[in-house]
Amino acid sequence: MNKSWIKYYLFLIAVLMGFMLSMQFKTNRTHEGIVTIPKLLEMQNEINKLKNELKQLSEASDEVIRKYAEYKVSIEETGSIVKSMESELVKIRNYSAYAKVEGPGIIITMNDSDWKLQEGESSDLYVIHDIDVLEVINELKAAGAEAITINDERITGLSNIRCGGPTINIDGKRHAVPFVIKAIGDPKKLEATILAPDSYVDLMEYSGIRVEIAKVEKVTMEGYDIRKDFKYAKKAESGEAK
Amino acid sequence: MIIPLLGLLAGIAIGLAFPVTIPIQYSTYMSVAILAALDSVFGGIRSAIEKTFDMEIFISGFFSNAILAAILAYIGDQLGVPIYYAAIFAFGVRLFQNFAIIRRHIIADTKKNHNKI
Repeated sequence: MNKSWIKYYLFLIAVLMGFMLSMQFKTNRTHEGIVTIPKLLEMQNEINKLKNELKQLSEASDEVIRKYAEYKVSIEETGSIVKSMESELVKIRNYSAYAKVEGPGIIITMNDSDWKLQEGESSDLYVIHDIDVLEVINELKAAGAEAITINDERITGLSNIRCGGPTINIDGKRHAVPFVIKAIGDPKKLEATILAPDSYVDLMEYSGIRVEIAKVEKVTMEGYDIRKDFKYAKKAESGEAK
Repeated sequence: MIIPLLGLLAGIAIGLAFPVTIPIQYSTYMSVAILAALDSVFGGIRSAIEKTFDMEIFISGFFSNAILAAILAYIGDQLGVPIYYAAIFAFGVRLFQNFAIIRRHIIADTKKNHNKI
């Protein structure tokens, strides 16, 4: 080979070498080294988390697109978006128990036991406590109840039921027996859940608590009428799965 | 000696300015190829010191080693056996050997020069 060519070849090869090196350094290698089992699991977790986030984001995006289409239709039809916003408000009020609703459901009437107390017996076993009501409400929710009232007091997601001596306090209001719990939902499913063996009502009946259950075609419930302004909870950015 | 260094710097500059990055799944092949190329470079330096440097052997070794190493890594990936360890081992051992020999030559040279003075 011609001696004078050598330096050009060397130069070219050095350029190539430098190019390869810098390309390799530029590559962002986050999973360098051997993939161990814990690392693998961690990665899988990460992937699942990201997938979840993606799903949530796409759901949020779908929702926004749908809303946008709705607004557009409403503008075309009536010239303003007020109508579609109103229907949205109705829906939200419905979800958050502020709206008056009606539908099929069941009515549960609970009353203290009529057992005559014997000498030395405590009445604790034979009266209805706040926790009894709570358990029943919880079971109704689990059975898919969409709206619940106790003595016509609408239960919201943030309602509280506490002991008030011989009475119970629901959202700070005093209520005494009999407790009439109304729930809107699939009547068959609600009843089946409430009456299932080992359900809470089943347990209560052992101590003589009188429970009556009636399936009804139509229950009407007033909306929750106390406005609550959130002081601490602020709207978070949607789509952050953390 | 200055020409290859200039070339190296030019290559690094080009690589940094190049708008494409290697996808992560190919970075293993690239690193094995770089190792093979480095091995060739050290071999070249050694042969230059021993005055047995041959351009054809150097160039063919540079490319064929790099390509073979990358292909080996690829085949290993397909088989699920990390064959590129073999490449890393072989080239790594040779790299250090070459470097040791280069070192001895340099030290011997400096000693000779020192004795002259």
